Amino acid sequence: MTAPIRIGLVGNPNVGKTTLFNALTGARQHVGNWPGVTVERKSGELTHQGVAIEVIDLPGIYSLTAYSVDEQVSRDFLLDERSDIIVQVVDATNLERNLYLSTQLAELGVPLLLAVNMADLAEEQGDCLDYGRFAGLFGLPAVRTVGSTGEGLAELLDEVVAVSRAGRPPRVPMEYPAESEAAIAGLVAVIERDPALARRHPPRWTAVRLLEGDEHVLASIAGSPVAPAVKEQLAGVDAIENEARFADLRYSTIADLLPRVHTTCARRTSPSDLIDRVVTDRYLGIPIFLAFMWGAFELTFAASAPFGTLIELVFGWLGEQVRGAIADPWLASLVGDGAVGGVGSVLVFVPSIFILLLVLSVLEDSGYMARAAFIMDRLMHAIGLPGKSFIPMLVGFGCNVAGIMATRTIEDPKDRLIAILLNPFMSCGARLPVFVLFAGVFFTAHAGTVVFFLYVLGIVVAIVAAKLLRATVLPGSSAPFIMEMPPYRLPSARTTLLHMWSRSSMYLKKATGVILIGSLVVWFLASFPVGVEYGSEASLAGLIGHALEPLVAPLGFDWRVTIALIFGFVAKEVVIGSLGVLYGAGNDPGALAGALAADGALSAPVALSLMVFVLLYTPCLAALATIRKETGSWRWTGFSVVFGLSIAWVLSFVVYRIGRIVLGGA
Amino acid sequence: MALAPLTLLTPGTPGRVREIRAGDELKGRLTVLGLLPQAEITVVSAGHGSLIVSVAGSRYALSRGIAAQVLVSEGDRPA
Repeated sequence: MTAPIRIGLVGNPNVGKTTLFNALTGARQHVGNWPGVTVERKSGELTHQGVAIEVIDLPGIYSLTAYSVDEQVSRDFLLDERSDIIVQVVDATNLERNLYLSTQLAELGVPLLLAVNMADLAEEQGDCLDYGRFAGLFGLPAVRTVGSTGEGLAELLDEVVAVSRAGRPPRVPMEYPAESEAAIAGLVAVIERDPALARRHPPRWTAVRLLEGDEHVLASIAGSPVAPAVKEQLAGVDAIENEARFADLRYSTIADLLPRVHTTCARRTSPSDLIDRVVTDRYLGIPIFLAFMWGAFELTFAASAPFGTLIELVFGWLGEQVRGAIADPWLASLVGDGAVGGVGSVLVFVPSIFILLLVLSVLEDSGYMARAAFIMDRLMHAIGLPGKSFIPMLVGFGCNVAGIMATRTIEDPKDRLIAILLNPFMSCGARLPVFVLFAGVFFTAHAGTVVFFLYVLGIVVAIVAAKLLRATVLPGSSAPFIMEMPPYRLPSARTTLLHMWSRSSMYLKKATGVILIGSLVVWFLASFPVGVEYGSEASLAGLIGHALEPLVAPLGFDWRVTIALIFGFVAKEVVIGSLGVLYGAGNDPGALAGALAADGALSAPVALSLMVFVLLYTPCLAALATIRKETGSWRWTGFSVVFGLSIAWVLSFVVYRIGRIVLGGA
Repeated sequence: MALAPLTLLTPGTPGRVREIRAGDELKGRLTVLGLLPQAEITVVSAGHGSLIVSVAGSRYALSRGIAAQVLVSEGDRPA
């Protein structure tokens, strides 16, 4: 059996590349990480005409110069890892800019094939293309595709097999000016003296990139014996001037050839422009955005409630069965209370997280999310962050893990770090049940208002924290904001579901692993030393609670609340499960509410202080693990813990003291 | 024709990019997106802190800081 044909699937952002990837590979996908970074690496396999094909979906890029982590991954793959063939997905409605990347890819010396995607949209707008002429004019074979319906995929794969068999790199008719050609030739001669270097990339490509001042390429030749000779050749070269001149040349080459493949069949005004005029209007923009968000949250909570209840029932039953089936009481408790109960208490929130991520995926795939970032840019700018960082914050309302991962599109490392550190203040789905329980018991009539203000408090804290970080440890102003506004489109169910799944499955994977371990630790602390009643004052958990009580007594918390908060570090929803155990109410929320109301140590001010603390303190374990991976720094991970804890302590203290004056009570 | 920063271009009126007075890195990023001298450009929507422009067949949101560095002339005739 021969090795599979390896396709590197590249393209500008928002050209429907992932839709095409999904249509090509279906469910046969592997999601892993690129080495060294946490950007997901998606690959998939298929067989066409009896030939095995591996497709690697690369993050979107506009050119071979990388600005964000995502873009670096694509560039490194294209330059260093390489594939048998590059398939560039180009947006048929915007060939000019898309072909700019093609002119750069063509020089890499790897067979290149264009998938002219979203051809249906272009034709609707009145742009018809002559695909046969692409190969003649641009030296690039092109296939018409519509990723959302799967049109043209078979033809694309036919071409993949044919082109990679022929193994001929493309020839784009680009002519550099004579003096540049002389400089290129001089560099090529030097590069060819080092065979290892000449083999790595086509010498001509390396020469062009060196003349453009590509720092990545410059760094990569540092170890070569010809490096000094290269430097000599480059002396006196104005890289900035070259870069601008070459870019101009690429665009003018495209502009010359494009009319010959591109014919206009009818003209219509773009509906995107009309929608944009309304939804990004100076006055209407924000109300429309708020209405969308309110709808999204309403839908999330209404639609997920029945599923949550169902999961709760199933796990309750499962726990009973397990405890009944295992004779040894220790083991029965370990598996029943620890493993099943712990994981169950977290899975209850999976429906709401899935549905929220689904709604957000629809908003994103339709093109609206980019407008939301635009609308919020002014506000975000005021707190020292680019508008783009608003999207991760929104995702954070579903789950901070997903939110922190969504910061990857932010180019500036400082902006991104701040966006990561703020994310835990966005009240995620896991905190809601804690609020609902306590607000329900202690603020019956005003429970909804209290919960609403907790969300607002989270946002306010995030804003102040951003200002604080900007003023102290991460000075500077936010990087200039450039963001593409993709045309509006109706998202396809398949794409949106896959989009949601790729995000929420990460949550599931992280959550279940970490939470299983955490639950077992909770069980251990609540069960030992041998002989104590589960979760009683005499257990290890009780001892720890008592030891730490003085620290949190000023906030109104007793030992039971203290333990619950410690356990809540695993995952915030665990606070409820732990209180259930500590109050002997098990998994029955009704019984727990009664027990809480009856406890003299608790009161409205304590409840308020507790909710504020739960909102702000240390991110959960899964979020911390994500912060560590995304920042690559234990120092910032530790900072996040201390930062959250300090803010939580101070605000809870203030809320508790004021609450006692206003509301009275303990 | 007089040059004006992009921020002053009337929304809906086509203009042509004449000069980009930005640092090299920013200039490079704009170039790749097709925002370079001689490109035809239209302001689609001007929000509070940034604007949406249509250039080279795509729409981009640009912060005012960037837009102020892009000098345009009104009307779409090439120079």
